[in-house]
Amino acid sequence: MAQVVIMPKQGQSVESCIVTEFKKKVGDKVAVGDILFSYETDKASFDEESKFEGTVLACFFNDNDEIPCLTNVMVIGEPGESFEEFAPGGEAPAAAAAPAVEDVPQDTTATLGTLRGGTVSEANGGVERSETVSGGASSNAGVSPRAKRLAEEKGVDPNQIAGSGPGGRVIERDVIAAAASPRSGLAKAMMAEGGLRAPASGTGLAGMVKGSDLKTRKPSHTDIAGEGSEFQVEKMSNMRKLIAKSMYNSLQNSAQLTHMLGADARKIQALRKKAKKALEEGKIDANVTINDFVCFAVIKALQKFPKVNSHCLGDSMRIFNTVNLGCAVDTERGLMVPCIKHAENLSITELSKALKQVADDCRKGSINPDLLSSEAASFTVSNLGGFGVEWFTPVINLPQSGILGVGTIVPRPKDLGGGVIAFVPYLGLSLTYDHRALDGGEATRFLKQVATEIETLDIEF
Amino acid sequence: MPKALYIDPEVTLRPQEHELKLPVIPVMKYNKTVKEELKDGRFSKEDLLRIFRDMSYIREFETMLNLVKTTGGYNGVAYNNPGPAHLSAGQEAAAVGMAYALDTNDFIFGSHRSHGEILAKGLRSIQILPEDELKKVMEEFWGGATLNVAKKAYSGTDTKELGIRFLLYGAMAEIFARTTGFNKGLGGSMHTFFTPFGIYPNNAIVGGSGSIAVGAALYKKVNRKKGIVVANLGDGAMARGPVLEGMTFASMDQFNTLWEGDMKGGLPVLFNVMDNQYAMGGQTKGETMGYTFPARLGAGFKADAMDAERVDGYNPLAVIDAFYRKKAYLLEKKGPALLDVVTYRYSGHSPSDQSSYRTKEEIEAWEKEDCIVAFGKKLIEAGVADQAALDAIRAEVNSNIFECYKLAIDEEVSPRMDLVKQDELLGEMMFSNQSIDSLSNAKPDVLMPLEENPRVKQIAGKERFWLDKDGKPVSSMKSYNFRDGVFEAIVDRFYKDASLIAYGEENREWGGAFAVYRGLTEALPYHRLFNSPIAEAAIIGTAIGYAMCGGRVIPEIMYCDFLGCCGDEIFNQLPKWQAMSGNILKMPVVVRVSVGSKYGAQHSQDWTSLCTHIPGLKVCFPVTPYDAKGLMNAALQGTDPVIFFESQRLYGIAEKFHEGGVPEGYYEIPIGEPDIKRAGKDITILTIGATLYRALEAADILKEKYGMEAEVIDARSLVPFNYDKVIESVKKTGRIIIAGDACARGSYLNDLAANISEMAFDYLDAAPVVLGSRNWITPCHELEEAFFPQPSWFLDAINEKIVPLKDYVPTSNQTVAQMRLHARKGI
Repeated sequence: MAQVVIMPKQGQSVESCIVTEFKKKVGDKVAVGDILFSYETDKASFDEESKFEGTVLACFFNDNDEIPCLTNVMVIGEPGESFEEFAPGGEAPAAAAAPAVEDVPQDTTATLGTLRGGTVSEANGGVERSETVSGGASSNAGVSPRAKRLAEEKGVDPNQIAGSGPGGRVIERDVIAAAASPRSGLAKAMMAEGGLRAPASGTGLAGMVKGSDLKTRKPSHTDIAGEGSEFQVEKMSNMRKLIAKSMYNSLQNSAQLTHMLGADARKIQALRKKAKKALEEGKIDANVTINDFVCFAVIKALQKFPKVNSHCLGDSMRIFNTVNLGCAVDTERGLMVPCIKHAENLSITELSKALKQVADDCRKGSINPDLLSSEAASFTVSNLGGFGVEWFTPVINLPQSGILGVGTIVPRPKDLGGGVIAFVPYLGLSLTYDHRALDGGEATRFLKQVATEIETLDIEF
Repeated sequence: MPKALYIDPEVTLRPQEHELKLPVIPVMKYNKTVKEELKDGRFSKEDLLRIFRDMSYIREFETMLNLVKTTGGYNGVAYNNPGPAHLSAGQEAAAVGMAYALDTNDFIFGSHRSHGEILAKGLRSIQILPEDELKKVMEEFWGGATLNVAKKAYSGTDTKELGIRFLLYGAMAEIFARTTGFNKGLGGSMHTFFTPFGIYPNNAIVGGSGSIAVGAALYKKVNRKKGIVVANLGDGAMARGPVLEGMTFASMDQFNTLWEGDMKGGLPVLFNVMDNQYAMGGQTKGETMGYTFPARLGAGFKADAMDAERVDGYNPLAVIDAFYRKKAYLLEKKGPALLDVVTYRYSGHSPSDQSSYRTKEEIEAWEKEDCIVAFGKKLIEAGVADQAALDAIRAEVNSNIFECYKLAIDEEVSPRMDLVKQDELLGEMMFSNQSIDSLSNAKPDVLMPLEENPRVKQIAGKERFWLDKDGKPVSSMKSYNFRDGVFEAIVDRFYKDASLIAYGEENREWGGAFAVYRGLTEALPYHRLFNSPIAEAAIIGTAIGYAMCGGRVIPEIMYCDFLGCCGDEIFNQLPKWQAMSGNILKMPVVVRVSVGSKYGAQHSQDWTSLCTHIPGLKVCFPVTPYDAKGLMNAALQGTDPVIFFESQRLYGIAEKFHEGGVPEGYYEIPIGEPDIKRAGKDITILTIGATLYRALEAADILKEKYGMEAEVIDARSLVPFNYDKVIESVKKTGRIIIAGDACARGSYLNDLAANISEMAFDYLDAAPVVLGSRNWITPCHELEEAFFPQPSWFLDAINEKIVPLKDYVPTSNQTVAQMRLHARKGI
């Protein structure tokens, strides 16, 4: 029976060998031990000795062929025996002939491909990028140095961008998107207040970021020993943080000082009585308060002192030719300072109604955010008189140059002339001004002007 | 596995002799008197007086150092020497006896306690060197800087007298760390040496010279240089592995059985044991060793027991007698030889050693036998001199030492290096950075023309790029691969540089364990390519000695994991000697280290980081045939030690990057230049070693699935490393992963990451991410996927730490939280 000579496997890692020379050819007689062919691996050369006796019936390869290990190479037998069934490519040897092993790195591709195949199918549904942001381990994830650089170049505030990096970190792509993406007016206004971050692109048309797309920035808080027994840690509301930030910034970044002056309140107390009467009589439709009269007087004074009605921008001044009056409002959520535009155009009743309206809007939370910006008002009045405060040092709402604190009315002795000294009601006025914008003389003259306006206010109802 | 040596079962299983007979080892046999020696004419009276004088120099030199260390001054001149001082007072006869029989072609290597040996060899060399030669040596050394100061201690015209001042001053200045010292003050007490006098490095590592000296002898033999090599070792060093490995290496049968022609015969190396009875506080005889006498060891290494002898090291004439015989024996190519020279150290291990482990009586008893006093008495008895003459010699010696001492401690004439003002000075000395085709003028010994070499012919038929002309991948058998690249560079150098030799734990018939050297057997005689014993410390140690003497050598460490077996040689010797010698020595050693895989925890580790940590080593790790050939060429052209890592995963890999394939001609790739293997703009991946290929797979996935184009940079070299390309890339991409197969903790990957963070901080969109192997044992091959960085890890790391990928679900945990958890657990 014909015998097959295969290409031996010389070691585990050898997958194929090159025959350097066939020493026996078809038709040659061979004895056991005769060398049939020489072959080599990359590492060594070998001679294949015949284990059979007979005649070479077939040789399936030529010199210098590369032959996979365990492949049939020759057939030895008696002349006349069939050998075709042993030709490589036939079924039996083909199974033994493994494909040449590629280098290890490719090996792992196969394994990995399978692995990935499994995971990708599980990944259906995907993860929303914005969820990653808010759900990150720390939403205070920071800004990458590269993103910071780019933000500076593009004039984008990286702190107002919701990051898409690991744990919500703002990375380069977020700044690129932010610089390119449009934002709605509301979104801009809300962001101007701080505390909010915009995603790289929003849900509006063409990716416009809308107010509802903004994300709250969550602060991190550090555990302090004693929590629970001695104190509770409460996170600050955004409003609180906003106030904290702007107040702190104000004191850090301007030269504030306060002048205090009393104004004879007899005139406006009389006007208040008149207005009350007029309201009762239906002559007017607004409950005009002392504060309204003071504001009215302040508006008049501001028109005479345009430098006070201004923003100090460090190296320049923004002098207003209209009075946008800011008015501090105490709400449950904290201090808010809405503004009344073009207040000089308003009558006392219009002013009164406008002041009431913005205060109500603030308390309800329906105030137009544009009116809350410190840039919106040109001067602010803050009234603590209702609480019995006589004098105080209000803090300027930067970049405004001044703020007037209005105190309560207390009787004070006054020389009425002719040796008569009597107690008259006095209103406490505390003007905080930015010394960068104004000198003491100007500020004092303005404050005196406010007092004069109060003392000489004359309104018919 | 030389086929020429037949292991005959008949002889092996049924020997004729049924006893192993060990040669008799002579003990203290010398018994001649001075008179007899004078009569025999071996010494003149002057010779004998010089022996006395030389011993006196050593004694006073060590006394001076001892006084400086213990009293803060010498002869009333204060000096503080904070450095080490391992003194050899008591051992003078052994040192002077050793040096007497040697000339400047004979090299000595020493230990931490070798001041006496340096002085003895120096004094003897000054005595025998012709005056004009001596003058030339002194004038040329450091451009005359050392001689100019030494001249201040001598006003006469006798060149040899001036030579003595030169020697004393040069050694002292070295010990006191002065730029005028023999090694610019960078070697110090334990490393000072002076090669023009045949004084080769001493070694602060006990037994360090045990293998280095063997390498020097190998150099002498292979390069047909005159002289013998003496390894001066202590009795304590006989316990050290590298010494025993050095003895094994030196005793290899192949020198006689396989090396041919004039190369046949043993190495000319003498292991000379300064048997001073103590090893630190341990007593070798009776306590820490069991050999009775060190002389016994010879019988373990060689049939003739290394011609070992135990001789009286308290009598210089007995030592000289033994040295004459050993030298002759070595010159007859019978080496190695072993001498056990009995002596005694008066001082402690160092001046801080209060000798609490021995009695006062013992020291006093030895002092009664004092070798200088006893020799003086013998000279008087023999009528060579009277006491007054001897006293005069000692007075002159003491005065010369004192004069040199004053100069050596003088900041004006003997300044130290100012490494604060010149803060790059020492840095510039770490590498010699030379480019030299051949370190020998001889014609290289080869066995055939290169073009007839079967391997060269085989390679000629290979495709030198992974794709053929039609752009189809060539089968691995027919493509030029990594091992071909290494081979081409090495065989080329073998035919250029006669000094080049290579050896390792299988380098010859087999072609190396990974067949890189296949074809070299046919090309090279045994003395240029041979199999070494399984002795890594000796493999590297001998290579160091070989290179120190001026030869180029490629020792091979078969698996990276075996670096631990030659830790001292790789970490303490190889990197240090260029700078520690004041740049007198070069170290052209290219250590081939194969990084394994598939073979588990002790055969699969990437220890490149260990090598990068040690200043003074160049480290490269090419992973393509083109890079392998170019970097090997550069390594072999240089004069610095290079640890050349190769990955066992890649020996068969074809060139996939260099267009046009691997050039047939010679070219170099400068060590230190990373290479961009694939350009990209979205993320940079910097890899060390075989991880390159996994990074490229990751890059493919990134591109296909996530539209990100990765720029993949192959570090190629680790030390030196030019960051330019990497920083440029990071400026572009803003993101980088640094990956390699080393266990992540403490790896060079972290070094790269930290440096990139500093160099490109403002450009980074995320902190550089390191992907290394887990801090585990390497598991078996089937489990390696969980251990080495995989392509998926790159994506996982990108998603977790750099930029979240859309709709991605990670397969491995690459989060920072996981890192912290692992760190806490130490895994």
